[in-house]
Amino acid sequence: MRDLKHLIYFENLLKEANNELVKKAKEEGKLALGYTCYFMPEVLLDLPGCFSVRLRAPDCSSPDIATYYMSARVCHYGRSLFERALEGGYNFLDAQMATETCTVTCRFQEHIQQKKLDSVKDMNVIENDKFFCEFMDVPFKNTENDYQYYHDQLEYHVLGKLKENLGVDVSDKAIKAAIKQHNEVCKLINEIGDYRKLDNPTITGYEFHVIQLVSLVCPKYLILPYLRETAKELKTRKPDEKWPFRCKVVLAGSENDDPYFTQLIEGCGAEVVCDRYCYGAVESRQPIEIREGETPLKAVARHYLETSNCPRFMPQNEMRARKQRLADLVKEYKADGIIICSNKFCEYWSYERVIDSFIMQRDFGIPVCSIEKEYINTASGQLRTRFQAFVESVEIKKIQEGK
Amino acid sequence: MSFIKDFWYGKPHTAEEGGRRLGDNYLPKTGLYKHREWRGVKDTFYYFHNIWLYNYLHMVMDVMKYGGIINFVKGVWRYRWVGQTYLPVLHWFDRGLEGLRGEALRASAWHYRAMVNATIYQFMSMFNADTRLHGGKKNDAWYHTMAMKETTWGGMFYGWSDKFKAVSLEMIPYFVTCHVNSHTVHNYIDAVQSIGLPGDPCPMCQAESGLFVLDDIPDYSPFMITCNEACDGSVATAILQDWFNDKPLYALQMPMQFDDPLANKFVQKDIEKCWKFIEEQTGVPMNFDLMCECIERQNELQKFEWEKWEVAAKTSSYPINGVAQALYRIYQSQFGDLPIWHEVDAKVRPIMEKCVSKKINTFPKTRHRVIAWSCAPLYYSNWCTWAYNAWGLNVIINMDSLMFDMTLRTDSYENMLEDVATYHMWAPMRRMAVGGMHHIFELWDYKERFNCDFVMMYDQLQCKGMQGVHGLFEDEFRDRNVPAIWMPHALPDSRTVSRAEIRRIINDYMSTVMHEEPLDPSLLELDDDMTW
Amino acid sequence: MKKIAKLLGIGVGAYAALFAVFFFDLDGKFLFHVFEPFVKNHYDNMPRRDMTKMPYDMNKYPDYKYDEV
Repeated sequence: MRDLKHLIYFENLLKEANNELVKKAKEEGKLALGYTCYFMPEVLLDLPGCFSVRLRAPDCSSPDIATYYMSARVCHYGRSLFERALEGGYNFLDAQMATETCTVTCRFQEHIQQKKLDSVKDMNVIENDKFFCEFMDVPFKNTENDYQYYHDQLEYHVLGKLKENLGVDVSDKAIKAAIKQHNEVCKLINEIGDYRKLDNPTITGYEFHVIQLVSLVCPKYLILPYLRETAKELKTRKPDEKWPFRCKVVLAGSENDDPYFTQLIEGCGAEVVCDRYCYGAVESRQPIEIREGETPLKAVARHYLETSNCPRFMPQNEMRARKQRLADLVKEYKADGIIICSNKFCEYWSYERVIDSFIMQRDFGIPVCSIEKEYINTASGQLRTRFQAFVESVEIKKIQEGK
Repeated sequence: MSFIKDFWYGKPHTAEEGGRRLGDNYLPKTGLYKHREWRGVKDTFYYFHNIWLYNYLHMVMDVMKYGGIINFVKGVWRYRWVGQTYLPVLHWFDRGLEGLRGEALRASAWHYRAMVNATIYQFMSMFNADTRLHGGKKNDAWYHTMAMKETTWGGMFYGWSDKFKAVSLEMIPYFVTCHVNSHTVHNYIDAVQSIGLPGDPCPMCQAESGLFVLDDIPDYSPFMITCNEACDGSVATAILQDWFNDKPLYALQMPMQFDDPLANKFVQKDIEKCWKFIEEQTGVPMNFDLMCECIERQNELQKFEWEKWEVAAKTSSYPINGVAQALYRIYQSQFGDLPIWHEVDAKVRPIMEKCVSKKINTFPKTRHRVIAWSCAPLYYSNWCTWAYNAWGLNVIINMDSLMFDMTLRTDSYENMLEDVATYHMWAPMRRMAVGGMHHIFELWDYKERFNCDFVMMYDQLQCKGMQGVHGLFEDEFRDRNVPAIWMPHALPDSRTVSRAEIRRIINDYMSTVMHEEPLDPSLLELDDDMTW
Repeated sequence: MKKIAKLLGIGVGAYAALFAVFFFDLDGKFLFHVFEPFVKNHYDNMPRRDMTKMPYDMNKYPDYKYDEV
């Protein structure tokens, strides 16, 4: 296939958190608001005058100082973020909007928070006088009680603090504008992503991964023109005559902001046609609908609790429904199997991965490759062997089924 | 003359020649004794009559009282966790009470007795109802027993306590038994890893799931309540447990940011929903008056606990050693009200009052008053007994003891519910570990309050929350010039860091950093690798 | 008198025996070397269900939301 016009530009934008577009937005006087978790609604950080940056720490393979503070026995992602923060990589942030949704990202965010306590020193990691870090609490379920709580948390800890500390306009009108912008991003990403559903997709998993990531880490209003152009370009993009892959897979699992990981899988012959993981598009790029009689904030609260497939959700029917949804994605994207990966030390996905490995194969007949990975995958040789073996097994299955 | 004195009083606790050498009593590797300690005539015979004989006898009587010998034998034959653990209980007493004399021996032993009774009550309740021990039949007891995850406070079910028993699924099969015999839990950890779980999640959660993988959980209730306390691992455990348990499940949540002003109301509603679920499952409404009665009784326990803390903090006459204090407190506050707690408190109160009024120095060889912080190694909870005997490190209080630091109001439904919600959110391993870093650093306040000069910092290698603040603690210890030992461990899994390794770390610190001499050199190096 | 002496003798003997069991940790030694290996062998070899064969129905249970509360 012909290269996408902006792919190299997008790749460059992913090389550091404080990328060209972030710098541009800051120069224009916009406020940079960092976050790590899906449960911190990106859309509320994209209110007029602000922009959201979902934090990444690309190429951080040796987080030495963070390892002193957080030990080597916690998730590499959390440590890498902290290392990058200590290096000054997030000094452009005006605020970090934090959630205690997984332990290690919580600890990372607490380290950069000015706690102003006698009991523990403040590390003054983010060198920005305006900077503050505010935590909100996120429920584990999705009943009316949870919607209300989540709504109130967003109102108090996100909107309230943005207004109080940074003077951000948090009116309904402003939220509606943010939702409108968010929905346009979603529409474009989905339009781009839908080409992965073709028999011979006109976009690779790697390319899509890059595009999805830039939509998370760049100011929306600055990345939108590029997304529009890319979507237009894809309308006429011709696939290779012969599909260059051997099978299609859904990639599911824990935090993954490393497009080279997707590239590694595709290099082994499995095209990644769907991204059901933290930082993926399956949940985060669903448009937000404001229902009749709902305030925009209420719509946001409902949306995020309804769309999440995080294994943090505990209701019995939700735990079980996640498996069905994963199977539905395999069908929708015409995938031949699932690669489920958990980051080392990620407690949620360690367990979810175990059960998915059994249930998806046994009850849905979907081949599963179950792996544990690092945030930055330096040990690619071992992974490559696993993926190659999986691709072969899927091929054999297809031959046996006469496909 | 010295022989007669030693015979009458026991050898003195001193490094000087003629002092007692507890390490010499052990047989190599096993942790068994060549002979049990001679504590002088009075204390040896107290131990023989009032602890050893008394507890063996009551272990039989409790079994008879709570369900009978047949159910017990069936349970022992079916479940590894009880079969391998029930009888060595007196060795658990030995390990925890080693070297104690006088009032400290008596008061600490009563705490152990209470825990044994509570344990028998729970496993017999399981066995009475267990379909696996009754040919698959769901008997009346099955319909009248509720199951919950071990980290759910038992008081949540007070409103049904006249008709139903509430027994946690994993508390006895894994948590309690691990203290008594740490061998059994390895089977469960290995079992869950055998189906693909990596080795790095919290080993406690691994054990909780492994019980199900190894099909070693009784089927004693029609439904289950789970909860997210204390951490990501607990949430994730629920995923596997739901698959293997396959029963109606209610997920009772605890907000992570528990002192958020919005959290309490939210939890109140979730608790009410949980009660609604129980009402639906049992067909019996929650009895508010009964709930209040039980809470009032529990409040009595809390009030006495505060008295104990007061004595521990302000005097050297506190007669309960570190391990007895820690285990009894966490057990009692987590389980909720039970008659044995009151009986034991009634026994301990006069002992403590005597110590205070007569100004008895209960741990006379104390060199350092220690606060133990974070979560302790389950397979070596008696390290503090060893540390006192070997080095004079006297553990006054520990973090888990401080969790449920409140009484609950019963003057109205609203107040009761508000306090139940708070209590629920202050659960063990949680009150100080989540909800913001400031909670975990409350250490300094408690260190002051309990007049401690030394910190034993538990270093649970697989606890992401505690590992995530490791460096800041290092910095604070240094900046504040607080002597602190990091004790690495993996909660129930004695294979990760052995007891000998833990002792070596303490020995090294005490000799090279503190420049102190041991009180009992025979305890420095022991080979107890195979011990229970 | 003889009977009482005999009973007393038995009592003293039993007491002494119990004390010997206690003092020389004979209970521990028996449990460690005899009882535990025996039961361990039993548990290691008992038939157990393969729990991974447990069904996992997606729609078996309702949502337990109780939104009316």
